[in-house]
Amino acid sequence: MDYIAVVGGGIAGMEAAAQLKALGLEPVLIERSEALGGHVASWHCLFPDLTPADKLIKDLESRLEGVDIQLGAEVSTLNPLRKGYSVVLSNGKVYPCRAIVLATGFTLFPAQRKEEYGYGIYDHVITNRDLEGWFGGNGDSRVPESPKAVGFVHCVGSRDIKAGNAQCSKVCCITAIKQAIEMKERFPGAEIYCFYMDLRLFGKKYEDFYIRAQRDCGIHFIRGRVSEVAETIDGRVQVKAEDTLSGKPIKVRLDLLVLMAGIVCNPDSEQFSKAVSMPLDDDGFFRSRNNIGDITRSDRPGVFLAGACTGAKTVPETLAEARSAALNVYQYLKGQK
Amino acid sequence: MIDRFATTGFHPFVLPFLLGMWFVLGYCLFGMIRILWELPRKDRRRFLLSLVTPKTAWKNIKDIFLNCLIHVKLWKRNPVLGYMHSSIAFGWFMIILLGHVEVFLFLPERIRLFYYPIFFNFFVAEGESTIQGSVLMFLMDFFLLVILSGITLAIIKRFASLWFGMRRTTRPSFLDMVGMYSLWAIFPLRLLCESFTAHISGGSFLTIPMNRLFAWFFGNDLNYLPTWWAYSIVLGIFMFVLPFTRYMHIPSEMLLIPLRNAGLRVMHPRKGFARVQVFSCPGCGVCIDACPMSVKKENLKDCTVYLNRQLRRGNEKRIAEISDKCLLCGKCTEVCQVGVEGPEMRVAQRSLRKYSINPHYNNIQADPFIDALPAGTRVLYFAGCMTHLTPGIKKSVLSLLDKAGASYSVMDPDGGLCCGRPMMMAGRDEQAREMIRLNSEIIRGSRCNVLLLSCPICYRIFKEKYNLGNIRVVHHSVYFEELIRAGRLKVTRDEAVKLVYHDPCELGRGCGIYDEPRAAVSAVGTLVEAGKNRRESICCGGSLGSITLSYEKREGITRNSVANLMAESPDAIVTACPLCLSTFNKYADVPVKDLATVLDEKC
Repeated sequence: MDYIAVVGGGIAGMEAAAQLKALGLEPVLIERSEALGGHVASWHCLFPDLTPADKLIKDLESRLEGVDIQLGAEVSTLNPLRKGYSVVLSNGKVYPCRAIVLATGFTLFPAQRKEEYGYGIYDHVITNRDLEGWFGGNGDSRVPESPKAVGFVHCVGSRDIKAGNAQCSKVCCITAIKQAIEMKERFPGAEIYCFYMDLRLFGKKYEDFYIRAQRDCGIHFIRGRVSEVAETIDGRVQVKAEDTLSGKPIKVRLDLLVLMAGIVCNPDSEQFSKAVSMPLDDDGFFRSRNNIGDITRSDRPGVFLAGACTGAKTVPETLAEARSAALNVYQYLKGQK
Repeated sequence: MIDRFATTGFHPFVLPFLLGMWFVLGYCLFGMIRILWELPRKDRRRFLLSLVTPKTAWKNIKDIFLNCLIHVKLWKRNPVLGYMHSSIAFGWFMIILLGHVEVFLFLPERIRLFYYPIFFNFFVAEGESTIQGSVLMFLMDFFLLVILSGITLAIIKRFASLWFGMRRTTRPSFLDMVGMYSLWAIFPLRLLCESFTAHISGGSFLTIPMNRLFAWFFGNDLNYLPTWWAYSIVLGIFMFVLPFTRYMHIPSEMLLIPLRNAGLRVMHPRKGFARVQVFSCPGCGVCIDACPMSVKKENLKDCTVYLNRQLRRGNEKRIAEISDKCLLCGKCTEVCQVGVEGPEMRVAQRSLRKYSINPHYNNIQADPFIDALPAGTRVLYFAGCMTHLTPGIKKSVLSLLDKAGASYSVMDPDGGLCCGRPMMMAGRDEQAREMIRLNSEIIRGSRCNVLLLSCPICYRIFKEKYNLGNIRVVHHSVYFEELIRAGRLKVTRDEAVKLVYHDPCELGRGCGIYDEPRAAVSAVGTLVEAGKNRRESICCGGSLGSITLSYEKREGITRNSVANLMAESPDAIVTACPLCLSTFNKYADVPVKDLATVLDEKC
């Protein structure tokens, strides 16, 4: 039987596999970890409607009935055949595949690389993902019981050539606003600061969210990069930044600092690009055939791309691309007959 | 010995040599006067005094003999090149010296004539053989043979420099070629001349057999005059082009050595001491391979040899470009045979730039900083800007100080003034001086005994430019190594962990600290060495020294430096500089740690 390999069990892979099944094809969903859902599964709720993330995952899972799901398995080799590829998995299974959908996603920027922000060094510095975990009910000793002041640093490892990533991660501005509002709702007495370069609030309802954060929640938005983070003797976090709108240096003491770690390319993408001899884009992500009209097809016939493996994406964009990639596969197979 | 031209002692063939000699002597004399004139008055006084001080005068003679004639430094680095250079330089010197001895012994009245020692064998006829005469003749032939062997090596090197261990070398200019070919021609011609006249003037093991051979071959004496002419013309050509070629390093170095021994520093990129340095550059191109920027065949024309060339040509645009790009790691000076101070010349060049904004720091007062410090501080720790950006180091240093039970306080707990070195590197001396003044006030006001630093960039300027009296300035690598030896810090050693130590430019080449950090690393693990280490360690690429090098270009430098450190596949890279740490962290596959962190983990 001819399969369609879907590499990556995040939301892009799940949606693509579900769509392929619905189109009457035989997808095999390959996920390295022991559970589906990828990055979204570690999130508590999603902007701009504060939709619970696990609801989205459950919906996607319910549509995967009858799909061959390989959990805890990695692609060890990809061998080109006359038509398609032979996909060998780390668990020893071999699938002859007519087409491959790469939905390998992204990696969250390792925040300890920006050592000046003190992640892993100071007691009260966490990342956006850590905070989502805490929202989701996982205890975290770094989050104080009743913080008086909380700060969010935007663009940690995004738009930063020194950190090796010049691209915008697209979703952190709105995520920071979402998380800031959630923090304000949990701790109405706390002062919340957002340190940003500029705010990129491009999507539906994002601007409303931003206005709500300022007007209803009184969150302070400070335009300026954080230069230095230090720990005070009483264990609080002291942040130095320049408020570039007023042109003054500012210094704030906080009980919690949240770093908005950005989206960077998956280190595995190089291995895949070599296996199917498909060049990577200069940002390290996979390269689409065309960034406007053909974003889900690669330069190689039979290899399709979905979601954040081609660059930073929001959840709705990822899902739309996954559907599009499934349709591309269907048409490609039809054309081959 | 009998004078063949008893009445005049002159023959027109000596003219090309004589004119060339007068020209080069005049040029050098004029140049020397000009350079002394350009020196700041204080430096000139210091230099002239050093010439009459017996200790420095002796050192000058010794250094000139060892470096200019014997090339000891080159012998140590590359024996074949060392032999090539010393055979030509020392051999030629001996021929000139022995020529004078001959004239002095046999025709003392001719010693006033410049050309007699050079063309002695043309002007004399051998009356009787004496023991002194044959010894001198033998030595003359011997040293000529030595030079000829050196010239042979030079010719081979010209066409196969890789055999001599040089990957990249400079492209000689047209005049360099003229100088080089005439230099190569001088000694074979001398051999021919002396052989042709050996039956008249006498000769030794080389010239007499050749004379017999030629006599048998040609059967007459008609060849000898044209050959002496050719010899003199080639000498003349070499001397006329010498000031405009790289061979100018021969006379310049003899001035450079006494100036350096007098303790002078580069104050202006074109004048005085810098001019001597520029002309002392032999253009060998050793600095091209050494320069960390030259990986992947990039920035090849931005190393010191090209800076010197552009300074000689006066190409202002390129001079500024080269000066701004340099990382100031100091490796070119370390490998340079004459010791041209590339980084100092560049900083001096940068100081010529005019800025429209010149910040002043008069509004900053030292008193609030002093008041914030607790009384009775013995050790004052200055973290500096870079350590504040790598808080892991600060945390480890403070933790180690606590563990050692030291009485300390932090000079800049909440950020402080910059040490001034970045300003100094940018050539902004005035701004740097203000920071030095303010920091000095704070440090003196604290009444501490020890100033502890974790950043070698700060450490170097505190050592070189600050005048802090009895306060000891110490880098944490040295301080913690002392504490370990004194037993105040107890560390556990894990033999299985292989650690490589990276010498930061500012700490190693800058301040000469190589052994203490290594001893400290050995106290916690097995120390392994990088491919190139100590004096020749490769800059991490993050240096503040470069003003214009982009992050993309720096990436290649850093990757090359990391690859060099991985030579013995260590488990972690240890360094003692916050800037090296954050630079390596981006591209290294193994953990990169500061020395303080490594010690703190095992303490």
